[in-house]
Formats: sequence, C-alpha cells, structure tokens
Amino acid sequence: MSELTDTFEANAREAVATVERCKNAPGLVRQAVEQLTKDLGRIVVGAAEFVDPQLAAVLQELPGVIRKPADEQLAKADAGITGAFAGVASSGSVCVALGPPLTAAASLLMPLHIVLLPAERIVARPRNLFDEACLGGEGLRRNLVFITGPSATADMGPLVRGVHGPHRLHILLLE
Amino acid sequence: MADSKLADGKTDSPRSFANKGDKQNVVRAIRMALEIEGPAIRRNTQTLNSGRYRAVREIPDYDALKDQARKIKERAIANLPESLQMLEVAVRARGGQVFLAANAEEACKYILGVCQHHDAKLVVKGKSITSEELRLNHTLEGAGIEVAESDLAEFILQIADEQPSHIIAPALHYSRERITALFKSKFKTDLPLDTGEELTKFARDRLREKFLRADVGITGANLISADTGTLMLVESEGNIRMTSLLPPVHIAISGVEKIIPTRREMAPFLELLAASATGQNLASYTSFLSPPLDDPSFALPGKPWKQREFHLVLVDNGRMKMREDPILYETLYCIRCGACLNSCANFQTVGGHAFGGETYSGGIGGSWEAGTGKLENARFSELCTGCSRCVNQCPVRIDIPWLNENLRGRLNHAEERSAFSGFLSMVSAAEEKDRPAPASKIFFGNYHFFAKWGTRFASLSNAINGTKLARAALERFVGLDRRRALPPFPRRTLVATARGISQGKAMTSAAKAVLFADVFTNYGLVERGVATLTVLRALQVDVVVSDSLPDGRAALSQGMLATAAKYARGAASHLQGFLNEGRDIVVVEPSSLAMFRRDFRRLLDDAGQVERFRTFAFEPVEYVARLIQRSGGSPKDFFDVARSPVGKRLFFHSHCQQKTIGCAEPTIALLRAIGFDVSTSTVECCGMAGSFGYKKDFYDLSMAVGADLFQQVAEAEKDGGARALMASGTSCTEQLHGGLDRKIIHPIELLAAILVTSK
Repeated sequence: MSELTDTFEANAREAVATVERCKNAPGLVRQAVEQLTKDLGRIVVGAAEFVDPQLAAVLQELPGVIRKPADEQLAKADAGITGAFAGVASSGSVCVALGPPLTAAASLLMPLHIVLLPAERIVARPRNLFDEACLGGEGLRRNLVFITGPSATADMGPLVRGVHGPHRLHILLLE
Repeated sequence: MADSKLADGKTDSPRSFANKGDKQNVVRAIRMALEIEGPAIRRNTQTLNSGRYRAVREIPDYDALKDQARKIKERAIANLPESLQMLEVAVRARGGQVFLAANAEEACKYILGVCQHHDAKLVVKGKSITSEELRLNHTLEGAGIEVAESDLAEFILQIADEQPSHIIAPALHYSRERITALFKSKFKTDLPLDTGEELTKFARDRLREKFLRADVGITGANLISADTGTLMLVESEGNIRMTSLLPPVHIAISGVEKIIPTRREMAPFLELLAASATGQNLASYTSFLSPPLDDPSFALPGKPWKQREFHLVLVDNGRMKMREDPILYETLYCIRCGACLNSCANFQTVGGHAFGGETYSGGIGGSWEAGTGKLENARFSELCTGCSRCVNQCPVRIDIPWLNENLRGRLNHAEERSAFSGFLSMVSAAEEKDRPAPASKIFFGNYHFFAKWGTRFASLSNAINGTKLARAALERFVGLDRRRALPPFPRRTLVATARGISQGKAMTSAAKAVLFADVFTNYGLVERGVATLTVLRALQVDVVVSDSLPDGRAALSQGMLATAAKYARGAASHLQGFLNEGRDIVVVEPSSLAMFRRDFRRLLDDAGQVERFRTFAFEPVEYVARLIQRSGGSPKDFFDVARSPVGKRLFFHSHCQQKTIGCAEPTIALLRAIGFDVSTSTVECCGMAGSFGYKKDFYDLSMAVGADLFQQVAEAEKDGGARALMASGTSCTEQLHGGLDRKIIHPIELLAAILVTSK
C-alpha cells in the first residue's frame, strides 16, 4: 500500500505535479488548501465525491470560494479544487470523474488545479481502472479524465508547461 | 530561407512538390526539406524516438501488451459492420446522433449542415488529422464560418496555410525561430515572441477567447468503444478537453477503423499509445467521454446544458474497401501513434513534407494515402527503404515495409517503362508480372544476375565500373548515382574459393552447418564468408557452402513481388536439402538472414518450411556465441583479444534488419566477453539501406542520414583515440567506407584473426 503511494508520488513529481501528503482530517486538509490559495482571490470548488462529506463541506467555507460562479467568473478564477476518483502509481496520474457540478471546470479552466486524492484510491497501472473489480468498476462507466502533470506543449519549439489547461497541478495525498 | 514564391503568391514548400506525385518532384521535395526543415525535424523526431524507447522499457509486459492490442484490432476490424451498428445504438440511446459518411464530401456536407442549423459563426477545433483528410476547414470557411484550430501545432499550420508534416506533431518541422518569424509577420504585434513561453501565452490568450465564444466544438477521437459510445481522447495541451466540453455542440470525427468492440478493450491502448507516441507513461490528458454528457458540470458560453448536442461523424472514405484489400487491411490496425515515423532514419532527416502525401506521412502514410486517396499519392513511400526499424516499434505490429513493398509493386505497374527496362527484365529473368518495373528497379532487384556476369569478368568489370563513362552510363540507365561505386567484384567467388579450402581431417563435429553463399558475400565481400568458414571449422563445425542463389531480398525491396517469391522458393528449395541433413544455416549478409527469418512467411506457402527457416538460420557471430555457450566453455577459451590486429578498441555499427531480428546484441556481447572495448552506434539505419543509397535520386538523403552515424564514430573516438570500425552489412560497410574513407571489417573477420589455435 505505502509502496504504491511512494511510486505514485515519485512519478507524479516526475510528471511535474507538486505532491503534498496530508492526514485525511478535514481541519488539516483545510489548512493545507488555505496555505495554497491564500494569495489567490477566486476559487472554484467542484463537488467532491470521493472524500469525506465533512471535508467537502469545509472546502466550500474556504475564503475566496465562489459558490455559484457565473460563466464570466469561471473563466477568470485563479484556482480549481476537485476530488480524484483514483490515482495511478505507474504514471503519477490522477483520474478525475466528471459529472458533479463544477468538477470539469475546476479541473480545467483555472491556472492552478488542486486535487484531493485519498491514498487508498491509488491503483498500480492505468489498465486497472478497466477492471470490474477495481473501485466498484466505476472506471468502466464514468466520464473520466486521466490527468498527468500540468498541461504542456512541445509545439512552440522547447517544452512549455501551462497551455490551455492548468499550469500547475497540486496533488494533496490524503492518508 | 530558401522559400520562393509561386505564381499565386503561396509560399513554395517541400510539401507542394511532394504532392504532385511524380518522381522528379519527390526528389525536389527532398532537397528543399533538407535545406529548410531538416534541423527541426531531426531534433524533434529523435527526441520523440528516444523518449519512446525509454517509455516502453518501463512497461513491464510491453510485448504481451502489443500482442493483446493487435488481437483486439484484428477482431475489431473483422467485426466492424456489427460494431458500427452497436455503436450507433449506444450513441443514439444517450441522445447523440451518428452519421456514417461514405466519403469526404458527405462528411463535410453533414458537418456544415449541423453548423448551419445552429447558425454557427465560430467553430473551434481540437486536433483531428482525419479532418485534414476531409479538407473540412475548406468547406466550413467557404461557407463563411470562422474555424479556430486550437491545438498549437494546428494553429501554426492554419496561420502558415500548410498541411501537417507528422501525424501527432503536425508542425514538427517548425523551429522556434521560424514560429516567431511566422507570428510576427502574421499578427503585426509588438509583444515579445522570442521564447516558447511567450509564443504559447500569445496563442493561448487568443484561443481562450475563442473557446468561450465558439458555437461548435470539433474533435477527433483516438478510439471509440462500440458498446458504450465512449471516445478516448489523448492530448497534452487541454484544448481537446475545452473543445469537447465548452461549446454547446460537440462533433467528433473519426475514421471507422477507430471503433473497437468494448470499452474494456481500450485498456491496453492507453499505455501503448502514450508511450509509442510521445514517450510518456501517459499523456497530460486522456479523457474517456460518452457524449452527450448527461451530467455536465458547467455550461459555457451561457448556454444551458440541456441544449448540448453531440454528433459522431464516422468516416469511411475508402476504409471499408481497404478492409477487403488483401494487403491494405492491415493499415486499419494503425492507432496513429507516429512511432514508425520517429524510428525511421529517412523520416528523421526530411520529415513528412517530403516523406508524405496529401495528409499522411512516413512509413504507414503511403498505405493511408493509397487507401483514402489514390495510389499515386503514395509515391513518396519510395522513401521507405525496408530497413524494418519501425516493425518492432509499432504497438499493433503492422509490417509496414511489407505494405510499402506492395505499394511499390502496384506503382511499378502504373509507371511508364522504357524499352531498356523491358530488355533488362528479359535478360535477368524477372517474373512476367514484374516486367513493368522501371529499369532501375529491374537492375537492383536482379543484382545477382549482373553481379554474376561482373564477377565472371572481374578485372574487366571493375576497371569499367571505375571509369567515368561507365558510371555516367549506369546513372543514366539504371539510376545508380555516379558518386557511388558498386562493391568491387571479386576474382573468385565464395563458392569457388571454398572448393579450394580443404575441410581438414574428419573429426567428431560439434554441429553441422551450411554457409549460405548470399549474393553480396559470394560476388562481393568474399573474405567475410571465408572468415566464417575458418571460425566455424576451428570450432569443430562440419560446414559446407551452398550454391549462390538470390534469396528474393533485392527484388522484394524493389516491389517486384512475383520475382521475389520465385527467388525465395528457389533458395528455400536448395537449402531444404541441407536442412534435411540436419544442418543449420549460417548467413553472413543480415538482409538475407532477415529474409529467412522475417519475410519468407510472406513468400513461401509451406508454413512448416517457414518455421524451419525462422528457427535454423543464424548470423555467423550469433551462431558462434551459441556454440560456445553450448560447449559450456568461455569465449576466452576460443578467442584471444591479445592477438587482435586492430587493437582492443572497436566501433560496431549493426545492420538495421539485423537489429530488428534481434541478432545485433550477440555480436556486442561476445566481443565484450572476449575483452574488447566496444562502442556502438545508436542510429536506426546508416542511410544506405541496401540499394537505396546507391540511387541517384536518393544520394543526398542517404548521405544526410549517414551524417549521424559518421558523427557518432567521431564522438566515440573523442576520448582514447581511434577505434577499429566494424559493420555486419554490405551496404553499411559501403556507407561507412564512403563517408569516412576507412577500412571496415566484419566482426567474424576479427574473430577469425584472434582464434586460439592450439588448445
């Protein structure tokens, strides 16, 4: 279990995500998120699915959170927060399930994406999520996106991180 | 810059020549590509290629995963009609629309209809090479709809008004400097645009506004599952996520070959595609979407999600016909990763504008062009040398050289032939079916015939071959570049020489073998065959020499398939007698060995015989290593590094086909075990590639490819001084000799010189 977590962390860093381990307690997670967003004004929180409901509620109370963002606000927000359906150790990816309000927006439109990943949802390889026995087989049914590091391009010559999608991916690994 | 202006004011580019489909223009395109686009292409393809090697090493069951992917695709294409029906049901059940377009025109008309129905002013596009095949932008823009390409490479090409040069990195031929120049001239901006970051920010800001305003988003799809209607969308930038999620209408365009039966079966492709395409464990984003999304989490631009609409446009455009084609059907397994482009030495040197057709480029590109367009558009596939380096890199194991050899055969029939080529094919006994091939192909495809006569009058032919007049004549009539010399003909062939070498006293033999007198060893580098006999006999092998027969390689590489099959059958039937005596087959020339191990399955009917050639044919040093291993001894018991006439420091360049069939490693391992300091080349191919580099049309390209190899020799000799140069292939030897003017030996010659004789 912890070996998977270690592999995940190493590979996520390799993919230029930032990773922070955090005890899975609402107060501590809130503190960690607050630290990350303290200089940012506008935060959009995707409805968190795979975390403790209490934690989900706490996140909505953070300073700077826009509860019901208008389109304009979505387009201009500074950070998005979502939960992760799964983590993938071999690639350091987080897998975000779309569907709940604002999840897609919060994982895509803002320069910073903060994702909460419960450590027990880390699987070894991407293909595991195509197995009926893995995480309730949800990987075979949901609309999903595997996110590996920030958006990037090599089209402009050298490798540039931060293109249309988030420029920074911060993973809070909840243990 | 060497860009010149055409009459209509459009910039002349390598692509504009390659498109014209006749040979002279292919040659012009190569020259232009080398000059303008070469450095960026080389840097970018080689980065992708080395990244791929690294990434696939990290997949623990890479080979099994490729087998699995191959099987899924085989089944998917076989069951395509059923899958199409299932997919239509799945998408409609979710409230989406499906349109099966018979051709490009139908697809464009349907998409335009959807856009006009929504009164669309602005369409934003993710990357879709299939939409390039359809020339969709032309249709939409013609109807007054603004099209914004959002993939940054496509954004560059849209500004430059160019076609893609690479299937996953369409603007790979652009250096940062050229992009800066392009943006400055197009946008008349004072913003700084001198770094990748500045260029990216500039493009992003322009496109963000388009995403928010777009009425319709158009994406492609990497795979589609028939059971759930799920699209797999792979990307790095986030533009495809934006395109598929933001606008109220999403249209996905996909060739029908992308459909696989079930979502579960997408699993192996996820890792294979990322590793093969960009050398990543996974791309930045891989989405699995079953649109229309019934649970959208946001709705931009101000349109409620209930209005969200989804259209899946499945494109036939020749694909269902390809499915029935005995050769081209394999193309439909392609998942468009670009690994065959990146691992191709020629592609690394000129890129997809010279080595490409209307839309598709590189090794697999010819088959796509021939299947979705017309055969003539595949003429660029002439640049596939059959080196086979792409074969093991393809995640679905497509035999790309075989496809190109067949395209070449079809093109031979379409080409005009001279009376001279007819004469050549008659005297050289090319098969009736292959007679329409041009003179150059007849010459190289039947080289054994000319070599045999050349050797019979060796001193005369070598003298003639060396004259300016003869070289000019060979260039004129068979396309042999005058700057290349044919390998000198020996005074005595291997077969004749072997007759004079006594087998020695009969003793208990360790093994029985036959040395195949391949054309290049028998009529060329005889000393390699003699060295093989010396080493094998020293190792107590009862070895004899076969007759010298063509094995079909030369004919195959010229697309003369009937002739190749005839020669293959002849060689197989001759060698079968030796196999029956319990002899292994030892083959000096790697391209002949690859014929036995890899290509005979295409040319011989008897599966049992094919299997025997695959199992019992060996490269000389590989065979020696096996014998030593079987004896339980150590290489040092047989070979003494101290006796080396060339010192301890070696540079070994293995032949491209030798690498593909896995027999380069044994040479390196054995030489190191004996105590040599061996440095190796990492190039995919030397650029000579059999007859390719001899041809006048390809001389410049061949030498440009060779430059990497020459550079690697220089690097390896930087510290510690010179190394003895070794190569296993005849044409590699010629290329190294031509480029560096140094003596090149075969590893077996070195082994023969360092035998521990008294034991």
